[in-house]
Amino acid sequence: MRSGAPERGSLARGAWHQAATLGAFTLREYRIWQSYRVNQLMWLTNIFVTTLLFFLMGRMLTGADAHLLGPAYGTNYMSFVVVGIAVNVFLFTNLADPYTRIQRAYFNGTMDLFLLSPMSIYTPLVGLMTKSLLDDYPRLFIVGAFGVVLFGAVFRFEHWLLAAGFTVLLLAAAFGIGAISASSFYLLNIKRGTEPVRFIVQQLLATLLAGTYYPITVLPRPLQWVACLIPHAYAFDALRRLMDPGARMNVPVLPIQQVLPWPPLTVDAVALGVMAGVLLPLGFWLYGRGIEKARRDGTLTRWQ
Amino acid sequence: MSAAAAIHLCEVGKTYPGRELSLRGTKLETQGPVLWVRNAARAVRLTGEAAPPVRALERVSLTVAPGEVLGVLGPNGSGKTTLIKILAGLIRPSEGVGTVAGWPLSQAGVIRRHVAYVSTTGWMGLEWALTAEENLRFFAELSGMPSRRARERTRAALAALDLTADAAKLSGELSNGMRQRLLMARALLWHTPVVLLDEPFVGLDPDHRRQVRDLIRGLPREGQTVVVSDHQADVVEAVADRVLVLEAGRVQAMGTPRELVRPLAGLSVLEVVTEMAATPAAPPPPIVHHVEWQARPGPMGRMAWRLTVETGDTAFSAVLAWLDTAGGRIIEVEERRPGLRDVLPEASAHRVESA
Repeated sequence: MRSGAPERGSLARGAWHQAATLGAFTLREYRIWQSYRVNQLMWLTNIFVTTLLFFLMGRMLTGADAHLLGPAYGTNYMSFVVVGIAVNVFLFTNLADPYTRIQRAYFNGTMDLFLLSPMSIYTPLVGLMTKSLLDDYPRLFIVGAFGVVLFGAVFRFEHWLLAAGFTVLLLAAAFGIGAISASSFYLLNIKRGTEPVRFIVQQLLATLLAGTYYPITVLPRPLQWVACLIPHAYAFDALRRLMDPGARMNVPVLPIQQVLPWPPLTVDAVALGVMAGVLLPLGFWLYGRGIEKARRDGTLTRWQ
Repeated sequence: MSAAAAIHLCEVGKTYPGRELSLRGTKLETQGPVLWVRNAARAVRLTGEAAPPVRALERVSLTVAPGEVLGVLGPNGSGKTTLIKILAGLIRPSEGVGTVAGWPLSQAGVIRRHVAYVSTTGWMGLEWALTAEENLRFFAELSGMPSRRARERTRAALAALDLTADAAKLSGELSNGMRQRLLMARALLWHTPVVLLDEPFVGLDPDHRRQVRDLIRGLPREGQTVVVSDHQADVVEAVADRVLVLEAGRVQAMGTPRELVRPLAGLSVLEVVTEMAATPAAPPPPIVHHVEWQARPGPMGRMAWRLTVETGDTAFSAVLAWLDTAGGRIIEVEERRPGLRDVLPEASAHRVESA
C-alpha cells in the first residue's frame, strides 16, 4: 500500500481534490440529514410556519398601504416580502452558519479528526457549509412556492441571469463575513457566549436596518447610511428591482445611490463586488490566523 | 539534524502562557483566571491575576529512525500528549526546532499530510448517525482518493482491525473499544510515513489489545515510523524498539527497554500487599534500592508496596522484617525480575530512594 495522502500537484489536481472533498462532505451531510426522518417533517413544518407568520403580517399592508414600498419596488407587498425572506435565508446561512458549524465540530470532537486528516485547514470551513445546501438553501424555493401559490406573490424572470449574478455576489460577501465570524472562534478563543461579528452584522444591523420587511426609506436618514455598510441592503435592492412586478430600475432608494452618478443596479453590483472581493479573502486570512494562534496557544483541538 | 531521521527534535519546549491549564485530565482548559468558585450562586472571580505559565515540555530532544517504533512513557500530565501534538503539527512549540518526515515543525499544514494520529478520545468526533464504514470512507474521500480506492482502503482497514462484521453498524451502536479500533483503522487509510498513537490501547479487551499491538509492530514492515505513548510500561515495552521516559515535561531516560532496565540488573522487585499500615518508622535496610507505597482505601484497606532490592534470601527476609515494623499484616508477596515499569515510578506513590 502506498501513500493515499495527496502531494502538491497541479492547479487542476488541486481543484479536483477540493471538489471531491466537497462532494464527500455533501454526501456525508445528506446521509446524516436523511437518517433523521422525523427531522425532515419538522424541517418542512418549520419553514411553513415561519414563512406563514411573515405573510400574515404582510397581508395587513397589502392593498392601500402598498404605496409604502415606494416607486422602486413595485406594488406587490407579497413579492417584496418573498424576496426579503429568500435573500435573508441565503444571507443568514452564509453569514451565521460558519461560526455555528465550526463551534459544533469543535465541541463534538469532529474538528479534531478533520485537523488530523490530510487536507487543508480551510476544507472543513467550506465543507461543513454543505449542510446548508441541504438544510437551508431549499427553503428559498419553498418560500417562493408558498408565496406564489398561497399568498399571491408574483415575479418577473426576464432578468434571471442578472439576478443569479447578484445572488452569487451576495453569497460570497455574506460568506466572507461568515468566515470572519468563524475565525473569531479561534482568534478570540470564544468557547461560550455570543460571537460579536455575527451578533453585530446579522442580529443587530441586518434585523433592524436591512429592509427585509420594509423599505429602508422608512428609516431615519442616518440609519439608511448605516444600512449601506452591510451587503443585505444592496442584495434586497437589486433582487427586488429585478424580480418584483412593477419595480423600476432607475429610481434611487439607498442614500449612496442618490449620491453616486451611476444607475442603482450598478451601485449595488459594485458595492457587493467590493464587499465580496474584500471580505472573502479577509475572512479566509483571518481564519488561517485564528488556526495558527490556536496552534500556538495549544487550544486548536478539544480533546487530548 | 539528521536528514534520514523520520522525526528529529532539538531542545523543543512548550509553555502555555498565563492560563489556567489542566494537563492531567482529558480536557485542555486554557480559559479563565487563577481560581474560580464554581457551583456557587454565581461564579466568583477571586483574582484577576493571570496564572503563571505552565511548562508542559522542557527542552525535549529526540531522533526517531525510519521504521522505528518509539514508545513515550510517562504518568498523566508528563507531557506525552503535548509532545505528540507537536509532532502532529497541532501545537506549535514555544522553542526548539525539529522535523517530521523531513518537514520543519513550522510547516504544520504539510506535516499533517504525512502523519496519521490516533488520540485517546478521538472517537468522540465520529459521526454517530453514520455506519463504521461510512465514517471511514468519508475520511478516505477527504484525502482525495478516488471512490473505488477509498472503498477498497476502507474495507482493508476495517478488516485489519477485525471490524468487517461491524462495518454496517452505526458508530453510536459500537462499544468504546470498537470505536477505538475504528479510529485505528482510520489511521491506516493513508499509509503515512509517520503514525502517532496517543494511548491507543484505552478501552481494548486483552484479545484486541494483542491484535493492536501486533498491528503496531507490523507498521515498520510497511515502511512506517511509529510513536506510541502510554502511561503503562508493559504496554510500551511490548511494542517499542526504544522508549522515551517523560516526567513533568522532561526526558528522564531514553533507550531500548533492555538498556533502560540494565541499571536494575542483579536486583529483584518485590510486590507486597499488606493491611493498611503506618509508614515504617525506621529507614529501609541498605539492600533496598527503592521503595514505593500506595494506600488502597476502602473497607478492605490495603497498602501496596513495590521494592527494588538486592537479590537473595537474606534481602527477602530483611525486607519483610522492615515492613513488619509498620504494623500491617503481610497478605501477599510476589518476587519478579525488574521490568520497564520499575524504571517509571508511580506518579501517585510515596517513595524512598536508597542512600
